[in-house]
Amino acid sequence: MSVKILTIDDSKTIRMIVAKAFKPYDCTILEAANGIVGLAVASRERPDLVLLDYTMPVMDGFEVLARLRSDPELRGISVIMLTAEAGRETVIKIAKLGVRDYLIKPFKDDLLVERVGRIVSLKPRSEEVARPKRFDDPVSLLVVDDKPAIVEQIRGGLADTPWKVTGADQAGQALDDCMKHVPDAVLVSLSLPKDAAFLFFQNLRGLAATATIPVLGLSVKTALGEQARAQQTGFAGVVTKPIDAQELKAKLCRTLRLETCYKYFQQKEGVLLLRLPREAREDFTNEATRRLKDHLAETADAGGDRLIIDLGELEKAPLTVIRLILFAVQACNELSLKCAISAPDAIRAECQAFEESQAWLFAGSVEEASSLLTDSCRQPVEA
Amino acid sequence: MNTTTPSLIDEVPALLSDGVARVFDTMLSLPATPAAVRDLHQPGQSLVAGSVGFIGDVNGIVYIHVTAPFARSLAGRMLGMAETDLGGDEMVNDVVGELTNMIVGSVKSRLCDSGLSCVLTIPSIVRGQNFSFEPVGSSERRVLGFCCGDDTILAELFIKLPG
Repeated sequence: MSVKILTIDDSKTIRMIVAKAFKPYDCTILEAANGIVGLAVASRERPDLVLLDYTMPVMDGFEVLARLRSDPELRGISVIMLTAEAGRETVIKIAKLGVRDYLIKPFKDDLLVERVGRIVSLKPRSEEVARPKRFDDPVSLLVVDDKPAIVEQIRGGLADTPWKVTGADQAGQALDDCMKHVPDAVLVSLSLPKDAAFLFFQNLRGLAATATIPVLGLSVKTALGEQARAQQTGFAGVVTKPIDAQELKAKLCRTLRLETCYKYFQQKEGVLLLRLPREAREDFTNEATRRLKDHLAETADAGGDRLIIDLGELEKAPLTVIRLILFAVQACNELSLKCAISAPDAIRAECQAFEESQAWLFAGSVEEASSLLTDSCRQPVEA
Repeated sequence: MNTTTPSLIDEVPALLSDGVARVFDTMLSLPATPAAVRDLHQPGQSLVAGSVGFIGDVNGIVYIHVTAPFARSLAGRMLGMAETDLGGDEMVNDVVGELTNMIVGSVKSRLCDSGLSCVLTIPSIVRGQNFSFEPVGSSERRVLGFCCGDDTILAELFIKLPG
């Protein structure tokens, strides 16, 4: 059974740093943004360890610890205090509280892991590398909105995907649904009455089974206050109403890290071909850049030695495409692969407006590019 | 620490300089070396400033200024995320606020150890292209510049002396 670590800190940055530090280990990280929620989570989940911030508004770490110690069910939970204040008096006060250890901010990840490792047994997470999820993989989404039309609108907008959309009109029901069938992501209306969306989010974060489900807020475009609150609370993002289906898909793909550009990569006979779509938007080029090195490494591993970037379908060559090509050329150099760009004359001219393109190998078609690269591979190496 | 007025004016900036270097090194593995820079303003340049105050036997406030693109880079680096995945400004603001909190926290600790007790305010963030902070009353102002690779950090301290 994996170790449960509860982080109670009003700083989302610290909570994220802790989650990142323990990613390589087989443990579940629970979060609470304040002491009151933290005590509720501790009571429900019985974590193996609590990382507790000393200075928090409303209920500080001192009071949280006192309440943990006063509860017979919770007093045995180990606590490491985190604090930015290293003064002697503070340190003495913390030591007297009976914590197992304390860490002064700033701290390095490995120091945090080492100190936690002295108290709980940390095992490395399984080395098995899962294939990244793709756009055409099944995904389950839960939409929490008291307006059925919104659920239907989202369902309709995603009808061309294999994603399953279920709806809940109340946060309580939604929480029960999440416990029964853990969705891959949740979209929740930020305008649910009585701050239900934010309470729902806190409840999700406080349960081991649902702690890592990404949650997106649904919000009217002009409701900037609730959107800022959502970001501050830890929502993965906000989708504005009226809902644009393409934007929703793009946000979900980013949130769930779904690979969308796989269909534009093709490996054949020692060549990796990257064919850019007609509308190579920034989302696409960013993702292609992220995935390119892996694809190149796979190509080299399989005995391939060439990359061809096909710009034949582009209407224009924006800066994001130029940056992608620059990255690709550099990545090829690092792996000792050859690279050529297939582009119609107009696109080639746009690329050649950039000084960096002087060293690029251009061709009028993929076949010509392949031939050029084959010829350049055959050229004898000068002594 | 000598708590007479002239010494405090010199020693708090020194603590601040040490705090900036230590926090950037520990949390970001970035060097922040003292540099003779006093202003980050450039036409069209967006800036971000995190601020944390300290109140008690000695009162003051510290602003940590960086350019908006550098702030984004710091946030990505600290959280282990690509800048494109950071979304809007909220996460960046939180990171800048936390860095400022840690820097001023280290100053506060040393002040408390020297018998000058104080508490910290919660962090806040200012964004814009053309803003400045002016001292009022009997506050002293000190500006410290740091070079961090190709980027620059300014630490601005306002301190009201005791007595």
